[in-house]
Amino acid sequence: MSTTKQQPHQSTDDPRVTLDRDLGVFEPIPPYPTRTEREAEFYTLADGEMLINMGPQHPSTHGVLRVVLKLDGEKVVDLDPVLGYLHRGVEKLCENADYHQAICYTDPLEYVSALFNEWAPVMAFEKLLDVQVPRRAEYIRVLSGELNRIASHALFMGWMALDLGGLTPILWSFIERDEIVDMLAALTGQRMLFNYFRIGGVNGDLNHEFMSRLGDWMSRATEQIDNNMGLLNENEIFVRRMRGLGTIDTATALRMVMSGPNLRATGVPFDVRRAHPYSVYPELEFDIPTRSEGDCLARYLLRLDEVRQSIRIIDQCLHQMPDGPVMAKLPRLLRPRPGRAYAAVEGPRGQYATYAVSDGTDQPFRMRIHDPSFIHLQAVGVMMPGHLLADTMAIMASLDPIMGGVDK
Amino acid sequence: MTVISKSWNRLTLPGKVIFTALPLLGALTIGLVVAVVLLGGILVDLAAANLEVVRFLVAATAILLITVPTAFLIIYMEMKIIALMNLRLGPDRVGPAGSALSVVHGLKVLMKEDFTPTGADPLVFTWAPVVTYLASVMTLLVIPFAPGFFGQDINLGLLYFFAIGGLSVVGLLMAGWSSYNKYSLLGGLRSAAQVVSYEIPLTLSVVGLILLAGTMSLNQMVENQSGWFTSWYIFRQPLGALIFFIAAAAEANRTPFDLTEADSEIVAGFATEYSGMRFGFFFFAEYVNVFIVSALTVTLFFGGWNAPFPFPEITLALDPGSLGIGLLLLILIVPPLLTVIFAAPIWLVSNSIKGWQALLGGFVLANLFLMAVIGAVAFIGIEWVSGLLWFLGKTYAFVFLFVWMRGTLPRVRVDQLMDFAWKWLLPAALLNLFVTAVAIVVVS
Repeated sequence: MSTTKQQPHQSTDDPRVTLDRDLGVFEPIPPYPTRTEREAEFYTLADGEMLINMGPQHPSTHGVLRVVLKLDGEKVVDLDPVLGYLHRGVEKLCENADYHQAICYTDPLEYVSALFNEWAPVMAFEKLLDVQVPRRAEYIRVLSGELNRIASHALFMGWMALDLGGLTPILWSFIERDEIVDMLAALTGQRMLFNYFRIGGVNGDLNHEFMSRLGDWMSRATEQIDNNMGLLNENEIFVRRMRGLGTIDTATALRMVMSGPNLRATGVPFDVRRAHPYSVYPELEFDIPTRSEGDCLARYLLRLDEVRQSIRIIDQCLHQMPDGPVMAKLPRLLRPRPGRAYAAVEGPRGQYATYAVSDGTDQPFRMRIHDPSFIHLQAVGVMMPGHLLADTMAIMASLDPIMGGVDK
Repeated sequence: MTVISKSWNRLTLPGKVIFTALPLLGALTIGLVVAVVLLGGILVDLAAANLEVVRFLVAATAILLITVPTAFLIIYMEMKIIALMNLRLGPDRVGPAGSALSVVHGLKVLMKEDFTPTGADPLVFTWAPVVTYLASVMTLLVIPFAPGFFGQDINLGLLYFFAIGGLSVVGLLMAGWSSYNKYSLLGGLRSAAQVVSYEIPLTLSVVGLILLAGTMSLNQMVENQSGWFTSWYIFRQPLGALIFFIAAAAEANRTPFDLTEADSEIVAGFATEYSGMRFGFFFFAEYVNVFIVSALTVTLFFGGWNAPFPFPEITLALDPGSLGIGLLLLILIVPPLLTVIFAAPIWLVSNSIKGWQALLGGFVLANLFLMAVIGAVAFIGIEWVSGLLWFLGKTYAFVFLFVWMRGTLPRVRVDQLMDFAWKWLLPAALLNLFVTAVAIVVVS
C-alpha cells in the first residue's frame, strides 16, 4: 500500500508541477513550457501513440543516456535523446590545469579505452611544444593503444550480445578484456584509467611482467577470440536480429560526420591511422577492413576484423621495437609558444581529436575535445524511427557510445 | 515473586526458550493424544466416508508444498549451471557449494518492503501474482509423478492442463495493467500476444499424440508408453515433440522467448513495479512453470515414470518375522560391525587420525551405506520409488536443457516471435496432425 496520497492535479513526473487537469500515465508530460517548435511537435501525440521514458536509469543505456521514445505500439515513431547527466566540464577543467595535469582530466572520458583519450591531447601538446618523441616511445604507444583497442572491442561485443538478451558472451569477453587490462596494469600501474602517456613519451619502459603476459596472450589470442565469437556469429537468432537493423547509407553517415568502425561499416575506408598518419603507423602493415551493408551486423563484424588487424599490428610492433629512451628531454614546467594545434587519433570508436590553443602560459587557453561517441549518438535519430522498441538498445549498442565521452 | 524473576533472569536466552518451549510442547502432546483418543474414531470414519475428498485435499496440499523446494532447486540449478557456462564460480558461500543460496533469496524476498506504486490499482495489483502462481500450481495437479502419485486422474487431463496453463497470462496482464507503468503494460501485452499465439501450435502439436494414444488422460498415456524406450511417443511423434517443446518454452516465457521480462528492453516487464513477496510469487511461478513444462514433455513424449527398459521383476522375500531371535542379533551386531569395518581404513590410512575420529567417520559412512542399501531395496522393491526417480531424473534433464538454452541464446524480437509461431510452427503442427491421421487410417 502506498503511504502518500496523491494530490489530484499534480504531475507524476515532477511534483513541483501542478496541472490544470489530471493527466493519466499515458498522456505526455512535456517540459514546462515547451522551449522549441520541435519540442512542441514531439510532445503532441497522434492517436495511439505513447511516450516512454528510457533512462537515465535503465538497465541497458550504456551509462546515463536518457531517451524519450514516442511509440506506436512497439514501433518507435520519434525520439528525443536527453544528454548531460554525466557532464563534468572536462574542457573547462583542462583550462585550469597545466599541460601535464590536463591529461588526467581527459583520461576518464571514454573510460573503456582510456589510452586514446591521453593520446590525442598528448599529441596536440607535443605539436605545440615541437617535441620529437623517441621512436621506442612511439612504438610502445602503438602497442599499448592497440591492446586497449582490442579490450574495448571485446567489451563492445559482450554488450552487444547482452542487449540482445544473451547472458554468456559478456562474461566471456570480460575474460578477454581482463587479461589485456591486467597486462596493461602491469605496464602502467592502473587497470582502467592508465594515465600512461606523457608529453614527450610514455611513463615507463616495457617491463618483464607485461612482456610475459603479452607473449602468453598473443600465443592464443586469435584462437580465443574466434572461440568466443563462435557463440554469436553462427547463432541464427543473433544474426537474424542484427541483419538489416539500423541501416545507414554512406551519404548519411558522412553527413553525420561519423567516423571509425561505424563509418567503415558503410563502405568508406576512412581510418585516421592511414588518412592522416601519425606516430609510427606509416611503418606498420595493416588493412582497413570495410563492409558495405551499414547495418548492425556489419558494424559488429567489422569490429571483429579490426581486432584481427590489431593483433597483426601488435605482432609487428614487437618485432620492430627499437632500443632507446622512452621519454624526450623536457623541462618540468611547460610553456609552449602561443599558437594552436590539432591532433586526431583513431580510437576504437572513431576519430578522437583534441584542439588545443596556447597563450604562452603553462595552462592551455582552450581545449576542445572531439568525441566520436557524441557524434555517433546523433545518428540514433536517423536510425531508430521505424524499428521496434526491442531494437533501440541493439542499435544504440552497435554504435558503441560511451556516455563519459558523450557528456564530457 | 522475586525468587522467580531472579531465577528467570539468570537463565540464558536458549535456556529461556527451552524453559518456555518444553512445558508448552508437553501440554500440546498431551492435548493431541487426548484429542486423538477422543475424536480419532470419528475422524477416521469421516475420512473413510469421504476418501476422495481427503485424497484430493492431501494431494493439493502436497502439490502446493512441493512447488517451494522445486523452485528453490531450479533457481539454484540455474545460478550454478549458468555460472559454469559463463566460466565463473557462481554461488559458493551459503551452504555446501552455495546450495542454500536460493533459500536465502527466498528469505530476502520475504523481508523486503511490499510496495504499491502511486496510481496503481491496489486490488488487481495484489491479486495478479496470486493468479499467476495458482495457475501454474494447479496445472501440477494432473501430472503423474509415479504410479499412484498424482493429484487427480482426470480423463481430460491434457485439456485441463492447457485450460489452466493459459490462465497464467491473465495474471501477467493484470500485473501489466494495474502497475501504472508503461514498461509493465508493454510486458503484459507482450505476454498476452505471445502466450495466445503459442497456445495454438502447442495444442495442435499434441492432437496427433491424442489420436495415437486414444486418450487424454495423462496416466493412461504414460501407461501406454511402458516397456522398452522405443515405445515412447517421441519416436512416433518427433515433429510433434519438437513443436511442443519450442511452444512450451514460449509458454513458460523462457529464453529465447523471454520477451515479457526482457531486462535490456523493458526493464522487468510486467514485474517492474513489484517488490517483496509479490515479486517472489512471480519468480516462483516462473520456475515452477519450467518444471511443469519439462514434466509434461517427459510425460507426453518420454515415457513419464517408465524406465527406458522393462524393469526386471524382482521380488525380495523379506520376512523379518522368520528370522526370530536372529533379527534381534542382526540389529545388535550389524551397525557396530559396519562402523568398525568402515572405520578401519580411515584409521589405517594416517597416523594423525585419532581412534575416535576414525570411528566417527566410520559411523557416518556406515549410515550412508545403510541408507544406500535401503534406497536400493526400495528402488527395486517399491514401484513408486523407482517411478518417481525416473520421472524426476528425466524432468530435471529437461530443466537442464532450459537452463542451457538460457545460457546460450539471445532473445528473439517480437515480430520474429510471431512470424515463427504463425508461419512455421502452426503449419508444421498441422502437417504433423495430418500425417498422423493418415498413418492411423492406413495402418488400421
